[in-house]
Amino acid sequence: MVLVEEDRSKSENNSNEKNADNSQYECNICLDTARDAVISLCGHLFCWPCLHKWLETRPNNQTCPVCKSAISKEKVIPLYGRNCTDKKDPRDKVPPRPQGQRTEAPRNNFFGSGLDGLHVSFGIGAFPFSFFASTFNITTENRMPAPAPGSTQYAEEQFLSRIFLIVAIIFIIWILLA
Amino acid sequence: MVSIATARIKREFKEVVTSDELTKCKIKLELLNDNFTELKGEIGGPPDTPYEGGTYQLEIKIPETYPFNPPKVRFLTKIWHPNISSVTGAICLDILKDQWAAAMTLRTVLLSLQALLATPEPDDPQDAVVANQYKTNNKIFVKTARHWTNIYAGSTLAAEPEFDSKVKQLIDMGFDNHKSRVALSSHLWNVEHAIESLYN
Ligand SMILES: [Zn+2]
Ligand SMILES: [Zn+2]
Repeated sequence: MVLVEEDRSKSENNSNEKNADNSQYECNICLDTARDAVISLCGHLFCWPCLHKWLETRPNNQTCPVCKSAISKEKVIPLYGRNCTDKKDPRDKVPPRPQGQRTEAPRNNFFGSGLDGLHVSFGIGAFPFSFFASTFNITTENRMPAPAPGSTQYAEEQFLSRIFLIVAIIFIIWILLA
Repeated sequence: MVSIATARIKREFKEVVTSDELTKCKIKLELLNDNFTELKGEIGGPPDTPYEGGTYQLEIKIPETYPFNPPKVRFLTKIWHPNISSVTGAICLDILKDQWAAAMTLRTVLLSLQALLATPEPDDPQDAVVANQYKTNNKIFVKTARHWTNIYAGSTLAAEPEFDSKVKQLIDMGFDNHKSRVALSSHLWNVEHAIESLYN
């Protein structure tokens, strides 16, 4: 009997905690849990449909409904939870949520690895051949994530590897003649 | 379909009713219909003001476009205040106009109105006569505001009996009670000037 009551009070506590947790993720406009959530640069959470309607209501004076700092459609960030149902939900009346901006992380690019190859070649004294090999390596085996064929990056790399190939061949001919 | 306005008022209503802070501040909210479009608000006059001890009823109408547009609020209880019309109860407060923001709630509106009672803004008046009196004859303004609190808002504090006898004088001449009080209040309680204005 006592145990049952304890359990009940525990579960009540839990549900209270849950409610308190959820209220942190309430949209500042409709006061419901934010759907298609976006966050302003000032850190305030909204449903995108709610915020969009607010921005439309006063197109000439777009301010955050909470702190009144300047706000705009371009300067809000969408929030994606794990079970994002974004694509399943057609929002006809409201334009789609602003896209998240993806910035590529820095990594070794073509030039970086090409110069490394050059350096090593000088070190072991068999420069032209290893250079030639490393040039070929790039075209045959992909050391980097392959850029999609047809993309500008792909075209650039093709172009550059051809130039290196030509330079290497000229170098070999020059050495043979010398 | 439940509109966003209705859904929000439901939530806000709960918030106001369950908040301890609001009972401390003497703020109340009451529903007048089932579709959450009309409410009655109530605020207590803030301490250390001429409105202390008074209770002010407010008419609150929720537009369909709420919360993207502000609620329409008006004083039902008559009040002598630079930013509130002594005739219609209309309110001049920026957040009920262009400074409204969608994250504001009825709770913030009621608290802001209470703050307005404590700190009038005579340079942005709703009632020009009251605002002018506030600036040029502040002592009479305070007495008059306190008198109105006593007569209309149920305060039991200082009643200004000489004001009452002047009002009675005009009523005896056949003038309406409230009109007589407005005329006297507007003319620094000068009986002759008040009578003159009532005849015009
Ligand atoms: Zn929302
Ligand atoms: Zn903000």
